[in-house]
Amino acid sequence: MIQYKKLIKSFGTRTILKGIDLHIKAGEIVFILGTSGTGKSVLLKNTVGLMKPDSGEIWIDDENVTDFTEQEFLPVRKKCGMVFQHPALFDSLSIYENIAFGLRKHFSLPESEIKERVEQALSLVNLENVLAKRPGEISYGMQKRVSLARTVVLRPKVLLFDEPTTGLDPVTTNSVNSLIQNLSRKLNTTSMVVSHDMHCALKIADRIVVLDQGQIVEQGTPQELLRSQVPLVRDFLAEARDLL
Amino acid sequence: MKSGVLFVNRLGEILLFLGEVLKTLWKRPCKLELVLEQVWHVTIQSFPTTAMAGFFVGGIMTVQFAMLVSEFGASAYLGGLATSATIREIGPMLIAFMLSGKVGAFTSAELGTMKVTEQIDAIRCLGADPIQEIILPRFLGIIISSFFLLTGGLMLSVIGGSTLGILFAGINPQEYVRHIPTILGFPSLMSGLVKCMSYALVLATICTFMGYFTTGGAKGVGRSVVNTSVLTMVTIVVFDWGTSFLGQLLMSWFAVG
Repeated sequence: MIQYKKLIKSFGTRTILKGIDLHIKAGEIVFILGTSGTGKSVLLKNTVGLMKPDSGEIWIDDENVTDFTEQEFLPVRKKCGMVFQHPALFDSLSIYENIAFGLRKHFSLPESEIKERVEQALSLVNLENVLAKRPGEISYGMQKRVSLARTVVLRPKVLLFDEPTTGLDPVTTNSVNSLIQNLSRKLNTTSMVVSHDMHCALKIADRIVVLDQGQIVEQGTPQELLRSQVPLVRDFLAEARDLL
Repeated sequence: MKSGVLFVNRLGEILLFLGEVLKTLWKRPCKLELVLEQVWHVTIQSFPTTAMAGFFVGGIMTVQFAMLVSEFGASAYLGGLATSATIREIGPMLIAFMLSGKVGAFTSAELGTMKVTEQIDAIRCLGADPIQEIILPRFLGIIISSFFLLTGGLMLSVIGGSTLGILFAGINPQEYVRHIPTILGFPSLMSGLVKCMSYALVLATICTFMGYFTTGGAKGVGRSVVNTSVLTMVTIVVFDWGTSFLGQLLMSWFAVG
């Protein structure tokens, strides 16, 4: 589904991704874990063309998208929906218009169908009666859900989540994590979740990839990760156990 | 040396950005209602500021000239001199300064916040072009409304000059008005309008550029706002010199011709 081949990305003299080789299979839920600044979000942004790698290749559905232009990336972005760390909702638009935004840009649908799909997407994230509101009028947790609805309304094959639970309280964190799992299963999508949360990764990931200083230091199923001897993974596991 | 290179680098980036905006305007223009919405917002937001600035700039020029011309017994020319100087030089520049503090700072803060909260990335991911969707409407909106605000401010500067002159400097109204058409000719009027237009373009380009390329969270937004105000004011002063110089050159050229 998605393949990264020797991906390198630098900012000035600082190399963030140092030759990432990774293959994400269709239907998988893959958690990318790592400390701050190890290039997790950069990896996602390279996937949808928000950043360009310095070298290496990115393949999506057997298509090399590495050197795609902004125009060529349009169908890729329709296929790969991204949920950002911030809700990134447009303040000047209502929740309805926020969710309908991508539908209006990617497809030419009648208004009745747009309305139907917006309502469907909102019910998928367990929200109702917010369509006429503005982002500023709902809570941060609700904004995160709307942001998720705005992405799933396009029915993407791949969902990319960039730290989806950052800034949320534990209860909302749990509900967002359940949503990620349910949506991925219900919509049969491939999901890549960038996170610091080993506890959640152990619960819902099919595979966990651990990045450290721009390199993959460990990967495997949650059971395999539990047996890992890599110090960073042990630290993450210790923190996850503290939470239990 | 290093700051010189940085300056040239930044200038190049701004010009490339302006080129990108103009290319988008040519190839994929934005919706008219988005532009009109921006024109409305900017005009409503800034009219009181520019009106007040214009009114008092006119007043300042009248008071300053009143002291000078009375010494030479040339009070009859006060209206013409004050109005001409206001419209050709000081008026457009001071009102543009006000606009850079108001519209420029607001726009770069708005766009900068959109950038650091990933709204601009979200626009790209949702299949839209951020230049077409958010930059172009603001760019055109600022140019159109700034032009109106500047010309409106200049009209008020004439009213301010005459009113404050009559009220506080004991100027005869008929005398004040009589020589305005003699001294303020068509070239002066055109010079003022060209300046208004060029300042509007400077303001729109710099504030959208600074906002669009903001990095570094809340601190970055603050930096963009400060840079917008400083860079706009400096560029406006340079443009003022440039347009004055060119104006003089053209006028002397036509006079010789």
